[in-house]
Amino acid sequence: MDNQKKHLGSRVGVYAVIWLFSYLGSFFALRSLDVPREAGIMLVIVTGLAFAVFIYKYYRNISFMDEVQVRVQIEAVVIAFSLALLLVMILGLLDLVVLLNKENWGYRHITPVFVIFYFIGLFISKRKYSMDDEKHD
Amino acid sequence: MKNTIKVERAKKNWTQAELAEKIGVSRQAVNSIETGKYIPSTVLALKMARAFGTTVAILFQLEKSD
Repeated sequence: MDNQKKHLGSRVGVYAVIWLFSYLGSFFALRSLDVPREAGIMLVIVTGLAFAVFIYKYYRNISFMDEVQVRVQIEAVVIAFSLALLLVMILGLLDLVVLLNKENWGYRHITPVFVIFYFIGLFISKRKYSMDDEKHD
Repeated sequence: MKNTIKVERAKKNWTQAELAEKIGVSRQAVNSIETGKYIPSTVLALKMARAFGTTVAILFQLEKSD
């Protein structure tokens, strides 16, 4: 049972890595190279598709989780969503008061922060439900 | 909510992993339930009771604060 779940989890991990590499590849290509407009749009679409496939696999993986793991994932997403909302709200309001440098606070800079928020949420919820890998026999 | 999972497990000489295998959840889930961090669904509680050959009422008891 655990092995099957680990296998499914590792497959989701593979799709996450594919998306990460496509995102970083597109990011550096669009930023540093002189990519034609059409090619640039294609890169963005490919990255979007890689993310969509990853999310689909992640969503499918949830149905193979037990109820505690599902609870952990739900709470992780709730925490991540709340933090993301907080960040966007503060940046949006701050943008009315001080001129934020878009080179530092653009959409592409916020994306990785959202991912970090998810892992913060995951860490908190795993601790809450003692879902660490420590043995308690 | 308190539970007697650890006691029942000790009677059967099962590890958390063995119990997890029998009821179809992860070992971490058993740990979470056993330590009272997570209250299982009715279905899971019944599966546990069946695995131990006992009743849900013996496995889980309400506390005064519940």
